[in-house]
Amino acid sequence: MTLLEVNDLHVTYAGDPDVEAVRGVSFTLEEGETLGIVGESGCGKTTLAQAIMGALPDNGRITGGEIIFDGQDITHLSNRERREIRWERMSMISQSAMNSLDPVYRVKDQIKEAIQEHRDVSDAKSYERARELMELVGLDPDRVEDYPHQLSGGMRQRVIIAMSLALDPDLIIADEPTTALDVIIQEQILYRIKELQRELGNSMVMVTHDISVVAETCDSMVVMYGGELMESGNVDEIFNNAHHPYTLGLQNAFPSVEGEKRDLTSIPGSPPDLSEPLEGCPFASRCPFAAPECEETVPVQEPVDGHRVRCHEPVPFEQIRDRSGEDETWLSQNKV
Amino acid sequence: MGLKEFVTRRIIQIVVLYFAIATMLFFLFRAAPGDPLAAYIGTGFTEEQAAQIRATFGLDQPLHVQYWKYMTSLVTFNFGLSYITGDPVWGIIQDRIWNTLVLMGTSVVLAYLIGVPFGAYLAWNRGTKRERFGVVFALISRSAPVFWTGLLGIWIFSFKLGWLPAGSMSQPGVTYSSKLAQFTSPSFLRHLILPALVQAFYFYSLPALLMRNSMLEVMNEDFVDFAELKGISDFAVMLKHAARNALLPIVTAFAVAAGFAVGGSVVLETVFAWPGLGREMVRAVIANDYPVAQATFLILAGLVLIANFLADLAYGYLDPRITYD
Ligand SMILES: Nc1ncnc2c1ncn2[C@@H]1O[C@H](COP(=O)(O)OP(=O)(O)OP(=O)(O)O)[C@@H](O)[C@H]1O
Ligand SMILES: [Mg+2]
Repeated sequence: MTLLEVNDLHVTYAGDPDVEAVRGVSFTLEEGETLGIVGESGCGKTTLAQAIMGALPDNGRITGGEIIFDGQDITHLSNRERREIRWERMSMISQSAMNSLDPVYRVKDQIKEAIQEHRDVSDAKSYERARELMELVGLDPDRVEDYPHQLSGGMRQRVIIAMSLALDPDLIIADEPTTALDVIIQEQILYRIKELQRELGNSMVMVTHDISVVAETCDSMVVMYGGELMESGNVDEIFNNAHHPYTLGLQNAFPSVEGEKRDLTSIPGSPPDLSEPLEGCPFASRCPFAAPECEETVPVQEPVDGHRVRCHEPVPFEQIRDRSGEDETWLSQNKV
Repeated sequence: MGLKEFVTRRIIQIVVLYFAIATMLFFLFRAAPGDPLAAYIGTGFTEEQAAQIRATFGLDQPLHVQYWKYMTSLVTFNFGLSYITGDPVWGIIQDRIWNTLVLMGTSVVLAYLIGVPFGAYLAWNRGTKRERFGVVFALISRSAPVFWTGLLGIWIFSFKLGWLPAGSMSQPGVTYSSKLAQFTSPSFLRHLILPALVQAFYFYSLPALLMRNSMLEVMNEDFVDFAELKGISDFAVMLKHAARNALLPIVTAFAVAAGFAVGGSVVLETVFAWPGLGREMVRAVIANDYPVAQATFLILAGLVLIANFLADLAYGYLDPRITYD
């Protein structure tokens, strides 16, 4: 069954100038599955996650498209209705999870707050639940008595994960849940999140800039660039048979998890200015294969080989795949 | 280091500071021009009589002896006699200090009760007309001197409307069995309202403006967003998370407010003929009544030190991150 369906979603931040941070993203998430959203910094991943949670910053608005959660259109629910769904049915491990705990309250009180806001549960019961959750994420249950400053960064992260599980929601959105941590802790925590999700059977959206994390943890994936969807589909399919130059570039930029280590080749250049309206493909200025039409007309999303790609295919996809494996393809861009 | 050790250390600091202030006061007063006993020793006195009066007040002794006696008086509260009335200084102070504490305590508490929620309200309405209007209003009340708002208050509420008494602490001629009986009498409360409100109208703007800034800062913190994410209602997020954290710097400002309160008592008590320490100090300074003036200065300085100490303790209680070392 489909749990979450996002159709042609647009999100704009009011300001001077306005910033359109999400520009027509679509995907579906099946119950019990994990979807990865991957892309460089600033491409609109957090904005997308917040739009789904109904927790955009004050100046952010959904300006187009729809979000359907468990058969219900939640795009334009009132704040109040959104608040009821939030945490009860979908929770989020936010990007800044390390600083997400209120410094003046004990861990147990903050977990309790999340539970009692939504459910009529006694203090004793929610205390028990808090201890149980701590154990679930691999922390000593006695640490519920601690204040946040008494915990390490990794422990705080685990507390946030514990909190996201408190009401056993259908959907958990993890927005780069481990970026602030060192590599070993990152591994541990990702592994734990994945394990818990399998045990508990929730669906999950995993937001990350590291495509190898997607390979390890996700069933399907969405590659975003400049607020737009570039390629989406089944993870195995995309890893074995990526078409889009940007996806291939990302795969080169991160050491592959399985098999031999490749050289780190980061994609030269930087993402487009999201306050500018769109002309052509957003990746065109950095794409080693770009043709004139890439700069002029916006490509549309098309099904190719069992997944979806948004590319004009300036040269045949087989060639793109072969040539993107060579570092010179990307480095020659710098000379322009 | 534990709380006990922290408290002990702070108390020692306070005592040292107190003696330092006392020493400064001692020399300041000796350096002041004019003969302290000029009012006492009339023109008709012989040299001998004058010398005798000087001896009564200990002014014939060398400076270091006077200093020693003065410093011991800080512990024994034996501050000597008033040069003007000849009454024991400690008796005068004991009577006045409660009057000041009740008046200033009431106005500071009122100021915080009004100012802190007002500041939080302004922050919550950031960017609106209401906020701008509120900030301007707070700045105006901060800029209006108490002697002016005080007189305005008296003019409106006493002379025009006749609702409240214009000054002093009680009706003339009425006596009470104790201070407590007096302070709980309806007549006293009626006398208290106007001066307390006038002073609070001046004081509230400091906690209000500080609270607004502090709230705006805290509202940008990730944990506030996260509380919203958890589905906590807006009001609860503002109260339990934003305001609770924003309160921390306000507590520190309480010590500053207490300093202002002590200074403010001088003006307020003069305007409202309130028989407190501030008014006594003004009287004593004008009349060259050194023992009383010195003692009132000392007591007021002591009050500020104690308020600072209490603010420190409150801060430690409210912020779990504070460790005492
Ligand atoms: N409140 C806001 N007001 C205006 N612009 C914003 C706001 N929040 C984000 N943006 C802009 O929207 C774009 C997308 O930001 P977003 O945080 O969604 O990116 P991201 O993909 O999560 O990046 P990162 O990997 O660094 O977290 C950026 O250009 C950012 O500057
Ligand atoms: Mg982000």
